[in-house]
Amino acid sequence: MPRYVVERSFPGGLAIPGGAEGARACLTVVKRNTDEGVTWVHSYVSDDGQKTFCIYDAPSPEAIRKTASRNELPVDRITQVRVLDPYFYAQEIAVRAR
Amino acid sequence: MVVPAVSASAAAELLEREEELVALEDAFAATRRGEGRLVFVSGDAGIGKSALVRAFCSRQEDAARILVGSCDSLRTPRPLGPFADIGARVDGSLGAAIAAGMATPKVFDALVQELRSAEKPTVVVLEDVHLADEATLDIVGLLGRRAVQLGVLVVTTYRTDELPRAHPLRIVLGDLATIAGVLRIHLDPLSPAAVATLAAPQGLDAEDLHAKTAGNPFFVTEVLASGNVDVPATVRDAVLARTARLDDTARGLLDAVAVVPQLTELWLVEAIAGDVLGALDECLDSGVLRAEERGVAFRHELARLTVEESIDPHRRVLLHRAVLAALRRPASGRLDLARLAHHAEAAGDTAAVLELAPRAGEQAAAVGAHREAAAQYARALRYADGLSMVERAGLLERRAFECYLAGQGREGLPDLEEAIACYRAMGDRQKEGACLCLLASRRWCESEMTAAAAAIDEAIAVLEPLGGSPELARAYSAASSFAMNEEKVEAALAWGERALELIDEADTEALVYQLNTSGSAELLQARPEGRDRVERSIELAEAAGLEVDVGRGFLQLAWIAARTRDFEWARRLAEGIEYCTQHGLELWRLYLLAYRARMELDRGRWEDAADSLSVILGPSTEQPLVRILALTVLATVRTRRGDPESAPLLEEALSLAAGVDDLQHRAPVAIARTEAAAYAGRSDLAAAASDDVLALALERGAVWVSGELAFWRWRAGIVEACPAGIAEPFAVHLSGDWRAAAARWQELGCPYEAALAYADADDPDRLQDALDQLGQLGAATAAATVTRRLRDRGVRGPRPSTRRNPAGLTSRQVEVLQLVADGLRNAEIAERLVLSQRTVEHHVAAILDKLGARTRAEASAEAVRLGLSDPS
Repeated sequence: MPRYVVERSFPGGLAIPGGAEGARACLTVVKRNTDEGVTWVHSYVSDDGQKTFCIYDAPSPEAIRKTASRNELPVDRITQVRVLDPYFYAQEIAVRAR
Repeated sequence: MVVPAVSASAAAELLEREEELVALEDAFAATRRGEGRLVFVSGDAGIGKSALVRAFCSRQEDAARILVGSCDSLRTPRPLGPFADIGARVDGSLGAAIAAGMATPKVFDALVQELRSAEKPTVVVLEDVHLADEATLDIVGLLGRRAVQLGVLVVTTYRTDELPRAHPLRIVLGDLATIAGVLRIHLDPLSPAAVATLAAPQGLDAEDLHAKTAGNPFFVTEVLASGNVDVPATVRDAVLARTARLDDTARGLLDAVAVVPQLTELWLVEAIAGDVLGALDECLDSGVLRAEERGVAFRHELARLTVEESIDPHRRVLLHRAVLAALRRPASGRLDLARLAHHAEAAGDTAAVLELAPRAGEQAAAVGAHREAAAQYARALRYADGLSMVERAGLLERRAFECYLAGQGREGLPDLEEAIACYRAMGDRQKEGACLCLLASRRWCESEMTAAAAAIDEAIAVLEPLGGSPELARAYSAASSFAMNEEKVEAALAWGERALELIDEADTEALVYQLNTSGSAELLQARPEGRDRVERSIELAEAAGLEVDVGRGFLQLAWIAARTRDFEWARRLAEGIEYCTQHGLELWRLYLLAYRARMELDRGRWEDAADSLSVILGPSTEQPLVRILALTVLATVRTRRGDPESAPLLEEALSLAAGVDDLQHRAPVAIARTEAAAYAGRSDLAAAASDDVLALALERGAVWVSGELAFWRWRAGIVEACPAGIAEPFAVHLSGDWRAAAARWQELGCPYEAALAYADADDPDRLQDALDQLGQLGAATAAATVTRRLRDRGVRGPRPSTRRNPAGLTSRQVEVLQLVADGLRNAEIAERLVLSQRTVEHHVAAILDKLGARTRAEASAEAVRLGLSDPS
């Protein structure tokens, strides 16, 4: 399944309540995502809470937009990505050298 | 009479079949509970399929009513043969229906009636369905589909080693693969242990026996029955070794029985082997022949074939002649044409073949066994050297027609061409023209457009001098639709008018077809009377039950509405989709969905478009044009939103359109690729994507295609004069009058193009409007350009409050919510927005959920709070 980075802007700053309520909010998002086969992996949030970069596994960009709308989350941009690990190539060389 | 001989090896045949017997018994148990089953028992020749089924049946003898039918191993089997067998055995209407030559659906009804008529649960056995004729396979398919409801157990057997890839039974098996109530049992060869058990009493080398026979039960028992110590190398040798033990008279009888496929009735045995009849008991006792209810048969078809092949050829011909003569005076009084034709050919009796094969073909055609009909005509043609040209041409024509109906149109083409040559040589221009017409449509079906056009031109040239006739009307009609296919609208109309002059009002099919073609051509010229014609075509077709033509009518309206952006037609489209769903016109339904998606794209409803497309782009859609339409719309949604993965879609669409020269396939691809190139600022890519198609569109006068292409080429930076004769809104926009263009697009209901027009304005307020509109649509790509332009003028970015819909509602949901707040009920909303009521209910539920409202009243209040509705 392809992986995507979803960029979002929150002009008022993203605020997730602490404790049980916050946990509930996040888990609701996760559950709604499963209806479209979308998996929220994790997110990077800027300090002022105005911008997030969310990592998703999803079947298509349309699925991401659908779940975003259901979860009342904005979508600025969707980019398809592949994971690049800094030590991947070093490991490969090490393995080949053996 | 004859006492059924107990096969000495009956017990032996059932080694290692316990699991399979249990499976059959479970299936029967389900039948007793009222849930029917269809079981396919498969395996190589001689593996013991019939033995298994027979053992199972004998166990259920008292509990069930058992009906048995077999398929013939004639090259051209009797149509509905096995059901004729069953019909002969029961009292009801089944036999009469088959004898009367009724079509398959009626026979199926009679069969169902018969199956349900008994008190005891019914078991139907159909042997050797790999030999079945087309009509029988149709019924097997129907039985499978309704297996559970019918409440009977149907057990079929077939040979897996006689099933090439293209065999029609494979299609039936494939169709039934996922149907509940259909089971498959496959029989494996005997294990070495089982073979050892069988070999033990005779002291044969079990390992050698197993190796040479590969565990094939038939082979094993033949070897054991022959009593030899050495194991013969092949089955054939084994069978011959066994028959060698019989004396000459018995072998004479065996030969006679061997030339008759499957079962030889006793009266027939008497007729052809009267003098050696006394040896019958010996044959039965030895186990080589088996007694059935109505006659005798070899214990296995393999044995029969071996013996038949080993008969001296001259003697074989004589035997077939005797059988032929005897079958002409059958005990039942009814002639079996397929059987007669088989023996006539085997006997080399030309006159008999020419007499019987065509009649057998007609009989097969009448019940829908078209493959068998084609084969019968082919048989007649093999002996047709002495026939007059007229008769020969007639056979050729009929064979070609049957090939076509059997879905093997290609095979029949040489026959059709030969028929045409015959008629030409005879000077029968009428028939020559009619056949040329047929040839043209066959070529068209095979996508050989040039050959089709050539054939229809020839047909018209041949038929016109003869004056008006239905054949000439058909030729004009074909020419009209070929032209329409290439969007040569003038030509299509001209041919169409000529066709309509000649078509008889009573010939509904021809009239429906031509009204559709002519009406579509007129619509493409933006003449509204075209709509009336197409609607009339749909009306007539519906009244006459011509479902496919109704579907085609809706299809034409849809593609033209999509092409010309005529959205008022939306309601009709919904009706069309409903009709196709109800009547199982799956392919037409997909086309209509694809055109609907295209219109949703053009109306700015991109979420709805994406939803429609996910249905169409499922794995089972193979039709290239449908896929092209769907892929290009989805790719465009993605490029406009700035989403990834539009390039692969466009590549696939491009490859699907390759090699097809018409605008319907190539225009959507060219337009989508040119638009994508425009966003990337690549004039070179835009030119490569659209040069050819633009030229073609201009030549054909396809103004909307040329308009859209010219527009995106301009935005990609290609500097060229605006072509003449493109669709009005594009022409206005390209002339620089963005204001008029925006107004025109608003009128049409195309918000994206309207926003793009505003984006070409100079004043910042219009630019801001454009940005708002683009934001509403989610058109990130174009919005970015406008933002840049605004920034260049020192204006800040887009207004945040309009960047996305409040509360995460889609634009469609906002529409619905506004109407809810206005107090409309769901039915009224459906009417207003041209949706089905179910869709509206779905939207309302989603809105309540998103707003956290429990009632419409709460939702309405929320709408006011969000500023979506005025308090009233």
